[in-house]
Amino acid sequence: MTDTSIDRSAAVGFTTSGRILGIARRSPTFAIGFAIVTAFAFVAIFADLISPYGAIETFSRQVLQPPGVEFFFGADGNGMDVFSRVMYGARYAFGIAVPAATLMLLIGVPLGLVAGYKGGVLDEVVLRIMDVLRSFPSIVLALAVVSATGQSLINVILVIGFLDAPIFARLVRSEVLALRSSGFIESAVAAGNPTWRILFVHLMPNAIRGSTAMIAVRMAWAVRISATLAFIGVGIQAPTPEWGAMIRQGAEFVISGEWWVALFPGAALVGIVLGFNLLGDGLQDLLDPRRKATGK
Amino acid sequence: MNKPTNWLGSAALAAVLALSAGGAGAQEKTFIFGAVGTPAGFDTDAWLTGTLETTVNVYEGLTKHAIVTDGSGREVIDASKVEPHMAESWTVSDGGKVVTYKIRPGVKSPFGNELSAHDVAHSWAMAKDRKRVGNFMVKVGRVESVEAISDSEVKFTLGTANNIFPRILSTVFPALVDSKVMKEHATADDQWATKWMAKNTAGFGPYHVESVKPGEGAVLVYNKNYFEEKPYFTRVIYREIPSAASRAALVKSGQIHWADQMPIQQLVDLIKDPKVKVDSVPGTGAATLRMNPNFKPFDDIRVRKAINYAFDYNAVHEAVFRGLGELSDSILAPAFGAYYTPAQTYQTDLGKAKALLSEAGHANGLDIQLEYSDNWWWEESLAIQTKDALAKAGINVALKRIPKTEMNSRRRIGKRDIPFFPHLANAFVLDPGYAFYLSAHSEGSSDVNDYNNPKFDALVDALIGETDTTKAIALAKEAQMMHADDATFVISDFPKTYAVTAPCIKGWLWYQHDRVVWKHLRCEG
Amino acid sequence: MVVPILLGITFLTFMLVRIGDQNPVAMLGGPMADEVTFAVIEKELGLDKPFFVQFGIYLGNLVQGDLGESWQSSERVADEIRNRLPASLELLVFSVLLGALVGVPVGLRSAQRPNGLFDQVSRFVSLFGFSVPTYWIALMSIFVFFFLLRWAPPPMGRLDIASFPPPDLTGSYFIDSVLTGNWTTAWSALGQLTLPVILFSIIVAAPIIKHTRAISLEVLASDYVRYARAQGLRPRTVRRVALRNAITPILTFIGTELTGLLAAVSLLELIFAWGGLGQWGLNAILLGDFAAVQGYVLVLAVFSVAIFIVLDLLVLLLEPRATLRP
Repeated sequence: MTDTSIDRSAAVGFTTSGRILGIARRSPTFAIGFAIVTAFAFVAIFADLISPYGAIETFSRQVLQPPGVEFFFGADGNGMDVFSRVMYGARYAFGIAVPAATLMLLIGVPLGLVAGYKGGVLDEVVLRIMDVLRSFPSIVLALAVVSATGQSLINVILVIGFLDAPIFARLVRSEVLALRSSGFIESAVAAGNPTWRILFVHLMPNAIRGSTAMIAVRMAWAVRISATLAFIGVGIQAPTPEWGAMIRQGAEFVISGEWWVALFPGAALVGIVLGFNLLGDGLQDLLDPRRKATGK
Repeated sequence: MNKPTNWLGSAALAAVLALSAGGAGAQEKTFIFGAVGTPAGFDTDAWLTGTLETTVNVYEGLTKHAIVTDGSGREVIDASKVEPHMAESWTVSDGGKVVTYKIRPGVKSPFGNELSAHDVAHSWAMAKDRKRVGNFMVKVGRVESVEAISDSEVKFTLGTANNIFPRILSTVFPALVDSKVMKEHATADDQWATKWMAKNTAGFGPYHVESVKPGEGAVLVYNKNYFEEKPYFTRVIYREIPSAASRAALVKSGQIHWADQMPIQQLVDLIKDPKVKVDSVPGTGAATLRMNPNFKPFDDIRVRKAINYAFDYNAVHEAVFRGLGELSDSILAPAFGAYYTPAQTYQTDLGKAKALLSEAGHANGLDIQLEYSDNWWWEESLAIQTKDALAKAGINVALKRIPKTEMNSRRRIGKRDIPFFPHLANAFVLDPGYAFYLSAHSEGSSDVNDYNNPKFDALVDALIGETDTTKAIALAKEAQMMHADDATFVISDFPKTYAVTAPCIKGWLWYQHDRVVWKHLRCEG
Repeated sequence: MVVPILLGITFLTFMLVRIGDQNPVAMLGGPMADEVTFAVIEKELGLDKPFFVQFGIYLGNLVQGDLGESWQSSERVADEIRNRLPASLELLVFSVLLGALVGVPVGLRSAQRPNGLFDQVSRFVSLFGFSVPTYWIALMSIFVFFFLLRWAPPPMGRLDIASFPPPDLTGSYFIDSVLTGNWTTAWSALGQLTLPVILFSIIVAAPIIKHTRAISLEVLASDYVRYARAQGLRPRTVRRVALRNAITPILTFIGTELTGLLAAVSLLELIFAWGGLGQWGLNAILLGDFAAVQGYVLVLAVFSVAIFIVLDLLVLLLEPRATLRP
């Protein structure tokens, strides 16, 4: 038998590892971002297995014990292990970011499609509403809403989803405006496709392409804003191991010297947000090569 | 509205200079009080931030408690009896139902007006009309009418003779105001001048509000017409320093004299610090978890007792109060002296807890919700420890944090619909009858879990009217046991009251209103 | 155009603070009040009227300049805002100035040598600034610079305890002290300003660096710049041409960033007990202080709108045609 195998190592693009390397070479930003996010996701999924203690397990006689062998990141003000809580916190980060991002898309994309395609009064109304929401500083709006509607994770996700939906609506709308008069759409219309089909089968896949990077960035934002809300004191119920809530508790102790309670959850926050941002930047590089000239 | 911008700093500057120079020979001695927030009002019937902290130094009463020395050589107030203060004497008649006070001559307000019976009548009429704290005192003291029978004599008619009433006269509820000044500031729809009271004071006590700057603080000055001895400090800068850590840092560096409301972690740290003086007295209000017997499953006494047995008192003492509170065992505090009886029959006993739960039909566990807020610093940590401890007995506690406004709203008379929540009631009058009435009588304003036991009510009513001490002690004991047996409270620690001061500060005397009284303080050494 | 947006925001806020159980009546009445008193308090606050009537009354007062009263402090909301806005502005302006003064040159320099060492480092720093939560870095900085090193003063506001506010000229304690020669106060104000301004300027600089870089890269790659290069103009001249064209979008961008910054600075105000609008507003939201929250949001919205208007004017002034003239 002749050896018909191709020298795999040289055939970048033909093997999975080759593809991965290719991507990494084209955008190291993406690679790093992806790696970070995956690492956090791993921790979130396997927290039960890898964390030394439970998320809300209290050791009442070891309140505020410094980092050491027993508690890697020390114990917090209620005697809970910071290391374990940071790990479980990853669950909340994803648990908020993913549903919120989904909601943003579910609301924003259809709005943008319809507004961009139909134009007219609908478009105007949508634009005005988006203007109002844009002028409202999001943190204040989120705070007011969650304060008013009560401390629950669902409310936080809903608020974030609604607040950022206009961003996607706008992005999609501008894409639609550009694509509306293009050849394939015109032929689809001529072929007698119903509007909804044009919107969702023909326009959407193309319009959404430009938003992909934004999804990662908005997920970073979702994690940040829910942590900020938790830090101020709304949205997350104690003793949930959410990083913002942990920093809130840590704030009291930082100034009297117990730095570990606030440091580690904050570092985790920085990590995951960085990861998502890099992922977003990298996706931008990969998917929108014409922008790459600007080095974004 | 012109607000002076220089007063706070220049006064503070002078004070700090005085502090560093030892204050020797300075005419004005300024006391710098590091507080949580600027006083938002000086109306004792509307408790806003800083209201009580300042008004207890502005208003004084017809009577006062004597100051005695206790066993350890410390000066304390004698809760059991009252002495003349702004009243120089009184006569009792009609079996104790009519008490006529003779006002001491020469008691003047900073405005120069002398205290008269009309001021007293005006103050009590105001309380009655406004139906708040002042009015609560009217009811507790069983006061039916207040009449100025001459310029210097005022007659109180009581529904029932009682021992609480004279003690109420030593509190700022109601505040004795200079009615001439108040009337000047009254308007058609604000007859009691409550708007003016938000930023000003007109009392007969040692201090008087000079100015308030929101966001920075207030300045109070000595009332030059004060009828008793001039206090050491003639000027008080009540400075807003919201961060506890900053207050701690400032008292350590000697820039403020007193750091108010230090949270537990700061206390642990400050107690070890030689640059700061930390003093304490036992508290009179216990941190409790209240159960409302009108709501399932707390309507079943076995469930309530089970929770009392499942609670981990030691863990809370360690983790929440860091060993700095006193484990309590009765609805009354040891500070009540002879009236206090160790009544709490519950120690952590998971076996008993589970057995009781089983009996009540919850052998497979119980789901309850604990709602808490941030009226007190320990609420959240207590909630978390409770969740942890009760889980071991199979009780699953869902925690829910609600806003302060909601908590206060749902706790009030007529509503009272929170099944399970933390609360602390401090008795302003150090009297067992008052304490029971406040916290557990069906008409009590702090009976926030709606405990309604007619037998207990009868006991308390009898105790309030009981003038014989031995009988009163027996009644008090019975009441404490009955209350403990009904198990509507889970009583954890009595948080101590701490005074965190510069080392030179001496003379701190604790009053039952639990705020700092400035006139006794001095800076020496 | 502006008015409907402001109206929409006011309505939204009005509605938000009234839903939910944030009723201050019980708190104001105190623990010992009775039903009658609660009714009286409710009436005083105007809460007994139906929602739209309340809104109508609020709007009516608003056009007369009466923003209502904060039930928490008994002060008029308009006064509270007037007292606290200068503090926030002081922090904001210094931070934005510092952030822009550092961020714009860094962004420009990065664009000149894309992917070079300077670029990589500045992009990393910028990314860091994006990802770091303001409050967390503030806490950590306080721990290091105050608690450990004792370089920074205690986070207790704009002045230390021994200093007094200078005469009110600009509203900025630091500037006013310098203008009136109060050097000790100036020093104290500067000390209190240092840490929060440095922190916030990093947060401000991050997006500025990123966008300045992006914009200048675009400009540098644009036709007229390439033409300028092809013409043989000195690199310096080329740079100046590029800058001229880049400056407008950069300024526009900074302006849009500004609109969100007044809100973003609130957290910093909380942590440093700055006494500014943000600290007051956040506390008001948490407490459910209706009039205060409405006033706060209104100020933010008006600030936003004002920035947009100023930016539009600025663009009109500065917009050069794409030109080769250096």
